[in-house]
Amino acid sequence: MIVCVAVVGHQNNPLYIQSFTEADDALKLHHIVHCSLDVVDERVNNPKKTGPLLNETFLGLLYPIENFKVYGYLTNTKVKFILVTTDLDVKDADVRNFFRRFHAAYVDAVSNPFHVPGKKITSRTFAERVSTIVKSFGLSSAV
Amino acid sequence: MEEYPEELRTPPVTLAAMVGCADLHPLISTHFLSAQPPINTLALPHLSKIYLFERKPKDSNAEVPPLPPTVVGGILKKDWLLKHRTKVPAVLGALFRAEHVFGDPAQWNNVCSDLDSIKTVIRGRNIKLAVVIIHTGAEEITEDKMIALRKRADVDAKYIVGVTTRLPAIQRLVEIKFVSEQLNFKICTLLLHSGKVTESVAWFRQHKNAYKRLVGTPEAIFLHWEWMSRQYLVFGELLETSSKTAQIFPPITLGSASKLLSEWEFHPAYYYQLAAHYLSEKRSALELVISTTETSSDTDTVDSVVPSTYVGQFARLLELGDNVDMMALTDEEYMRYAVSEGRRFRDSLEIIALLKKAYESFNSGNIQRMAALCGFQMGKEYFSEGDTDNAKQIFDSIAILYRKEGLQRDTGPAGPASLIQRETVHKEVFDLVTENSALETNEQLSNLKITEDKSLQLQVDLASPLSLVMIALVAFHEQTMKPGSLTSISVSLLSNLPHTVEIDQLEIQFNQPSCNFFVSNAQKPQSVGVTDNQQRRVETSTSLTLEPNKWLKLTYDITSDQSGKLECLSVIAKIGPHFRICCKAESPASLDNLPVWALDDCIQSVPIKDNILVLSGQKTIQVEEPEPQVDVRLGAFGPALVGEIFLVPVTVISKGHDVYSGELKINLVDVRGGGLFSPRENEPHALDSHHVQLLGISGPEGEEDSHLDSDKIKQVQQSFGLISVPFLKDGDSWSCKLEIKWHRPKPIMLYVSLGYTPNNESNSQMVHVHKNLQIEGQNAIELNHHYLMPFRRDPLILSKNKQASESDLSQSLPLNQKTLLIVSTKNCTELPIRLKSISIETEGDVERTCSNLHGNEEFSSPVLVAPGREFKKVFSMSSDNISKLVLGNLCLTWRRDFGVEEQSASTAATWPWVVTKQKLPDMDVELPPLIVNLECPPYAILGDPFTYYIRILNQTPLLQEIKYTLADAQSFVLSGYHNDTIYVLPKSEHILSYKLVPLASGLQQLPRFSMTSVRYSAAYQPSTSSNSVFVFPSKPHFKNAASTNFRVESVANE
Repeated sequence: MIVCVAVVGHQNNPLYIQSFTEADDALKLHHIVHCSLDVVDERVNNPKKTGPLLNETFLGLLYPIENFKVYGYLTNTKVKFILVTTDLDVKDADVRNFFRRFHAAYVDAVSNPFHVPGKKITSRTFAERVSTIVKSFGLSSAV
Repeated sequence: MEEYPEELRTPPVTLAAMVGCADLHPLISTHFLSAQPPINTLALPHLSKIYLFERKPKDSNAEVPPLPPTVVGGILKKDWLLKHRTKVPAVLGALFRAEHVFGDPAQWNNVCSDLDSIKTVIRGRNIKLAVVIIHTGAEEITEDKMIALRKRADVDAKYIVGVTTRLPAIQRLVEIKFVSEQLNFKICTLLLHSGKVTESVAWFRQHKNAYKRLVGTPEAIFLHWEWMSRQYLVFGELLETSSKTAQIFPPITLGSASKLLSEWEFHPAYYYQLAAHYLSEKRSALELVISTTETSSDTDTVDSVVPSTYVGQFARLLELGDNVDMMALTDEEYMRYAVSEGRRFRDSLEIIALLKKAYESFNSGNIQRMAALCGFQMGKEYFSEGDTDNAKQIFDSIAILYRKEGLQRDTGPAGPASLIQRETVHKEVFDLVTENSALETNEQLSNLKITEDKSLQLQVDLASPLSLVMIALVAFHEQTMKPGSLTSISVSLLSNLPHTVEIDQLEIQFNQPSCNFFVSNAQKPQSVGVTDNQQRRVETSTSLTLEPNKWLKLTYDITSDQSGKLECLSVIAKIGPHFRICCKAESPASLDNLPVWALDDCIQSVPIKDNILVLSGQKTIQVEEPEPQVDVRLGAFGPALVGEIFLVPVTVISKGHDVYSGELKINLVDVRGGGLFSPRENEPHALDSHHVQLLGISGPEGEEDSHLDSDKIKQVQQSFGLISVPFLKDGDSWSCKLEIKWHRPKPIMLYVSLGYTPNNESNSQMVHVHKNLQIEGQNAIELNHHYLMPFRRDPLILSKNKQASESDLSQSLPLNQKTLLIVSTKNCTELPIRLKSISIETEGDVERTCSNLHGNEEFSSPVLVAPGREFKKVFSMSSDNISKLVLGNLCLTWRRDFGVEEQSASTAATWPWVVTKQKLPDMDVELPPLIVNLECPPYAILGDPFTYYIRILNQTPLLQEIKYTLADAQSFVLSGYHNDTIYVLPKSEHILSYKLVPLASGLQQLPRFSMTSVRYSAAYQPSTSSNSVFVFPSKPHFKNAASTNFRVESVANE
């Protein structure tokens, strides 16, 4: 189950962050998202280590923490997508698929002429679409 | 980590045993010890000792006698690994001599039976067997014997696994976890020792995942969290020490076999952070357990619980006399024991320590956000511990990052709060400082409570972040004020807090404490006691409520008796009995610089209505000196005249003030700024350079000694004077006169200032009166002089003639002739002047060269010269046998005329005469070769002929050829030559005579005579003035005496 997704701008400023849990742990999830930026930075700043991942947008598992796993995705414009999930056994393909759809939704949202680049995404349509993508996570491979 | 036994922490140490050939054992064990890594040896001197390795007959017999009920079998005994270092060897070396093996069959049988017995012993122990043949080289080793030997020594492998189900549920889980913990630790240690970091991390992860879900029963869940925390901590420490010692950095091989490992799992800090997380889980779970279970009084059972011989098992120690027995625990007993153990530790400190380790580790690796999260959690721990200082410090340091990355809205305490949150927080703070009763019961905040001995005063200025709370603008309505008079002061207060602030009392403080005043809130009377300020001014305002972003403007009258600067220093707002906000007062003129202004666009209105005050309003006002009630009058009349001692009367008249320790300062200043004296005034020769000089100060009129006592004149310099004024009562007056002398005509400004104190108190203020007067300095008299020959006698002076064209500055006088000196004095002033005398005085030693000087006498009575008029005096002299005429100085004695006072002898005698001197230039004297004398009657009568003689005197010893001309004149008919050339004999006179008949009456020009001396080529013409005669229409009738008078007058009128 996805508990949190986030879009972070190229200056590490949060553009969109949404948690999908009943519990009151939004702050904790925000912290986890924020900390994951360290991992993304590390990956970006040390491309030698990442090797074949140099040109790949999907960053894979960033780090496991407590009961969560954090996955990352980096666009060419240095916008980061972060996914926090509680599932222990996650298929890579599912995550990739999720990020691809999430990215598409983001591109559509920022293509809105009324959106100011670098500002928070306030579009309700985007939120609904993200929520749909999150709900269908894991199901897509079955379909 | 140190709590684990040594055999778990350290790399494995091999234990080898030897049997047989005891003489070789020391040699072998020394060699093994020196090996890398060292190998311990266990030397058995004889084969019979081999039973030491024999397994205890625990599992060899199925009918195990039932264990005593006090002892429960476990999984691992405590010496499970230790025995492999000291008791049970990994390998047993059986040493046989070669001759025994390859010798006679009896010996071979012996070897075989030995091997068999060894094998039976070591089979259960999984001890490897090494057969060593001691070979001296003489015997032959046969292959078949070796094969047989190998067959005999063959060993099977054996593994053991065991699970116990005897313990109650909780303790069983605890035991399993303890055992797995130790095994995991050992495995990880071994992997890390061999440099297999990735495998070690993967192993740990597997270990952690396997046990993560085994939380156990809810009441014992804290044991699980504690265990989890310990796993992370220990592994983190292991990782840290191994990376320190071995400098192995994790080889990141992502996407391959260890694709699920992230590089984060190689950071020890990651494990510390999680350890802290699980420890805090444990704390909350433990707190829950403690709160639900009643506190147990059964401390005996708890005290006597000790670890039993099996790993992860606990038992109760029973002392029955000398015997010590172990009793198994029920789960309830065990829980009590665990809870009481858990209580003994302060988990917060442990958590903080863990987080600090993680924080520092992340920070050193420049992993900011992780570090910030650790810091954030650490700050929370500090805060819940009540250590607000540390908490704030940490929050502040990490808030920078959160602000920078725009996370403030999401991260709560780190960033600025929203307006509603701010309002809540501020309200709480104000409730706290106003000691609102609602909060007094709150124990958490009791240490923040403000009491009498912990009163709080905030210092707020514009630079401080607290300027949001309150800023104060103060403006006086005027720039200057008279002492004692009233002016208004506006105090404007603004609070940018999101809620209203009610002030109980305002105190406005000035640099003159006597001006301080209070403004109390009418709605909260007597809420703030003003006990010690009874004499102070207290104003009451209907409301002292600060609306958010709205100016509160208060205007009050203010007065000050003390001259000088009056500055508003601060405005202190008192809220509640022990809380004060001290705002530094600011001027509205400095509004532009207010950071608050720039930040907030929510100024509703400028606080002060008067626009000028907004721009120029200042928090300071100049309090002037009290109005002097003493008049200083400078009574000088008219311009000053150069040379005279000009008196300026100064009168000090008291009109209401007594004058104590009065002092007059006098200053002379050049109006045109040119300076009145040369810079080096102290040099004696420079005295002359003072164009205007203050000579002295004379005392009041009518005093016996007109000059003041020397002690009263404190100082008189060329342009500066200081006089002390005696004590004057109200109504008295005092006067003195300043004596000023002008050397050059120059206007000056005279400044007189009187400083005094109106009363005799030491601290009273000086009052100053300033007066000034511009005085013109004028030249009184213009002196002129010229020389004159006798009437109608004109000598031909060659030098004069020569220079006539160039200049006539250096006049020459004829030798041996009578000469007149005419001195004219012109009054240049606008005042009448009295002349006492005009005389010519010799200058020093220089001798006067002229003889027969006449007219050097005083006038019988002083002559009055009206303004603009001239007065002339005639001196006559003869220049006999001299070559140069030196006369000396012209001395003029004069003074200004005092009109009516002049008549009284007393004043006339008092006034000093001024002597003005002017040097008369020296004159050359030379012998004229020719002198022309025109002779003509003093007057003529119309139609009456008269004779006009022209005498030409040759004074030279030479014959002089003269060409002359006599021009016709309109008014005369003449007879004789118009032109001619004549010769004048040496030292003789030639006379030309003409008969003239006047044709017109009045002053008429005689026919003009001109001549040329051929010898000197010098043309000559008598002066025009001597060439006219008055023609009467008929013969006049007057006395002889009058005719001389007429002559004098005509000269004077020239």
